[in-house]
Amino acid sequence: MSDATNGISRRSVLKGAAIGGLGLAGGGSLLASCSSKKVTGDVHFTIRGNLSDAGSKINIAVNDAYTKKTGNKVISQAVNSDDFQNNFVQIMQGTPDDAFGWMAGWRTNARADAGLLADVSAQVKTLGSTLSAAAVQGATNPADGKQYIIPTTYYPWGLHYRKSTMTELGLNPENIATWDDLIKLCEATQKKGLVGYAMGDKGGWEAMGTFDIINMRLNGYQFHIDLLNGKEKWTDAKVLDVFTHMGQLIPFMNKNFLDIEWDGCRDLLLQKKAGAMMMGSWFANDFLAKSQADYDDLWIVPFPEINPEHGIDSIDAPLDGVSVAANGKNVEGGKDLAEFWGSKEGIDAAVAAGDTSIYISSEFDTSTYDAFNKQKLAVLGAAKNIGFFLDRDTRGDFAGPVVGPALQSFLKNPKDVTKILENVQAQWDALPAL
Amino acid sequence: MKTTPANKNIRRRRSLSRNDRFTLAAFIGIPTLMQIIFLWLPALITIILSFTYWNGINVGDIKWAGLANYRNIFFGTPVFYEALKNNAIWLLWFTFIATPLGILLAYQIDRKIKGHKLFETVFYIPVVLSLAIIGIIWNFMFQPGGFVQGLMGRDISNAVSIWGNYSINTYVIMGVASWRHIGYIMLLYLAGLKSVDPSLREASAIDGATEWQTFRKIVLPTMRPVNIIIVVITIIESLRAFDLVYIIYGTSTAWPLLNILVFQNFAGQGISMKGAAYAVILLVLCVGPILLYLRSVFKEDLK
Repeated sequence: MSDATNGISRRSVLKGAAIGGLGLAGGGSLLASCSSKKVTGDVHFTIRGNLSDAGSKINIAVNDAYTKKTGNKVISQAVNSDDFQNNFVQIMQGTPDDAFGWMAGWRTNARADAGLLADVSAQVKTLGSTLSAAAVQGATNPADGKQYIIPTTYYPWGLHYRKSTMTELGLNPENIATWDDLIKLCEATQKKGLVGYAMGDKGGWEAMGTFDIINMRLNGYQFHIDLLNGKEKWTDAKVLDVFTHMGQLIPFMNKNFLDIEWDGCRDLLLQKKAGAMMMGSWFANDFLAKSQADYDDLWIVPFPEINPEHGIDSIDAPLDGVSVAANGKNVEGGKDLAEFWGSKEGIDAAVAAGDTSIYISSEFDTSTYDAFNKQKLAVLGAAKNIGFFLDRDTRGDFAGPVVGPALQSFLKNPKDVTKILENVQAQWDALPAL
Repeated sequence: MKTTPANKNIRRRRSLSRNDRFTLAAFIGIPTLMQIIFLWLPALITIILSFTYWNGINVGDIKWAGLANYRNIFFGTPVFYEALKNNAIWLLWFTFIATPLGILLAYQIDRKIKGHKLFETVFYIPVVLSLAIIGIIWNFMFQPGGFVQGLMGRDISNAVSIWGNYSINTYVIMGVASWRHIGYIMLLYLAGLKSVDPSLREASAIDGATEWQTFRKIVLPTMRPVNIIIVVITIIESLRAFDLVYIIYGTSTAWPLLNILVFQNFAGQGISMKGAAYAVILLVLCVGPILLYLRSVFKEDLK
C-alpha cells in the first residue's frame, strides 16, 4: 500500500512550506532558464467547479496570462468537481484535457502508478528552489520518487467564524483552548438563536473534516494515518471515543445537515446564521467575491486541544496543484501550462484576480499577505504534522463508498455507533490488496 | 394485395430478388450486430469482470477474485440492503399507487369528463422531461434556500429538512418520480383505450353492467397488449431508477439505489469490480421477472 510510506514521509512536510513562504519572499527567479525550448499549440484545461465560482474566474485569469506570455491559446472548461473526481479514471483514459487543477496524495499517486498522469518532475526541477523541499516531497509519488503534480496552493482546515458575530455575542473564539471551551462556545451561540456548529454532510465528505481533526487531537497524527491505512482497527475504543466527541457536537449542528453540502455551510456563515464552522479555508474566495467587508470579517483558529499529549500538533492541510494528463493531445503544452501555474507570473495573475489562497512558491510575496492569510499561516505553523484530508489519506474505494456513508449514518443515528464502526472495519477487511 | 394462405409462401419467396434479400439481411443483420457489439458483449464482459479485481485501467492487471465481490456485497455491505429496500419501495409504489392512478386518469379522460383536454395536457407535461431535469427542478424547489422553503419563509439555517429527513424523504422522492410516471402510464393507456371498440362498452351498458364491471370484464381484457407493456415498464422503471436520485444526492449514497451503487463503485475509485457485481445483480433482477412474465403471456396466447 503506497500510502503507508507516504503518510510517514509526509509528516511535517508542509510546515516547511509555510515557513519557506514567509522567509524566502522574493527569491531569485529561475524561470529564465526554461524559455529556450518553446512549447506551442493550444492547451486544454479543466477547471473543477462552476464557471460562476470565484475560483473558476481565477483559473481563467491565470490561463489568460499564460496565453499572453506564450501566445498559446488555453481552452478552459468548467466541470462539476465531484463528477470530475468520480469519473476521473474514465476521463483520463479517453481524450482528457491536457492539464487540470488536482490534489496531491492518494488521488494523484494511485493514478500516476496506473500511467494516467504525465511526469512533471522536469517542470518541478525548473521551478527549483521556489518550491520548498517539503512541498516537493509532499507532491512526490513514493512509488517512483517522481512528481505528477505541480504543487501550487494549500489551505488549512480549522474553525472559521465571523469576528462581528462573535463580538456581538460577546465571545472570543481566540480563547477556545480546550474541548470544554468549544462546547461552551457552541452553547452560547446556540442560546442566541444561531447555529452553534455549522454542518453540511449531504455531499458525504464534509463531516470527514471534523472526524479527522478530533481523531488527530485525541489519538494523534500517527494513529490517524495508521487507522486510515489499516494498521489500526475502527473497532478500537480510541475510535469510539472520537465518535463520542463528535456526538457531543450534534446537538449544536443545524438540524438540516443532511440537506446541505459544504456550500450551504458557507452560506450559513456568510449570512451570519452560524457561529463556528469546521472547514477548509478555500471558501474564503467566495467571501471576498461577496464583498471586502465580508472577507475582512472572516477568521480562522485551530481546532482546540482535546488530549494534552497531542495538543494542537496536527492539522489537515490538503495540497492542491496542477496535473497533466498522460493521454492529452498536447502533453508538452500541458506541462508548460502547469509550470506556469507554479511560477511567479502565474501566481501574480491569480492574486490579481482576487485569489486568497496561500501559495507554496517562495515567489509569492508574503508582504502582500492580508490579515486572514497571515492567520492561516499561523494556524498551519501551530501544527507539526500535516494530513491531506481523509479522502486523500486513504484509498479511494474506502473513503467515498465506506467512510462517507458511515459518517452520515452516525450523524443520523449516533446510538448505532458500535454497529457502524464494526461495519466499517468489516468493509476495510473485505477490500482487496492494492 | 390479397393472397390466399396457400400460395402466400410461394409468392413471397419468389418475390424476393437478390436486392430484396440483401436489404432484408442488412435490416436484420446490422441491428443484430450492433445489439451484439454494444449490448451483449459488454454485458458478457461485465459478468466476467464481476468475478475479478481490477482498477479498470490496464488489462494486464486483472486478477481473478472468484465470488469475493459478491460475498463482499451480500455479507459486508449494509448499504446494499438499503438500496434493495429502496428499489423495492420504488417498485411497490409504482405498482400499487402510481400506475393505477395513471390508468384511472386515462380512463376518466377517455370518458371525456369535463375539462379532460386540460387534464390531459397538465398530466402529460412532466412526461416530456427527463428524470434528471425533474430532479433538478424538485431539488431546486425543496432544498434549503429553495423556492418552497422561501414560500414558507425559511432560510438556510432553519430550512425544513426534506432530502435529509429520513422519515419523509422516501415519500417525497416517490411523489416526484410519480409526477412523471403517472402521466406516462396515462398516455400509454389512453392510446390503448382509443383502440377499444366502443360498441363493446355500449353492449355491456345495455346488458346492465356497472362502470366497474365494464372496466374489469370488458376494457381490461381487450387491452391485454397494453397491460403487458405497462407491467414491464413499471418493473423496468423501478429497477433502473437512477438519474433523479443522483441529481439530488450525488454518489454519497444518502438514499441508495442499486444503480447508484453500480455507478459509485464503477467510478474508478476502487480496485475491485464490485460495481460490475452490482450491475450483474441488477441484470438478474431485471431479466428474471420479465422473462417469467413474458413466458406466461406467450403460453396463454398460444392456447
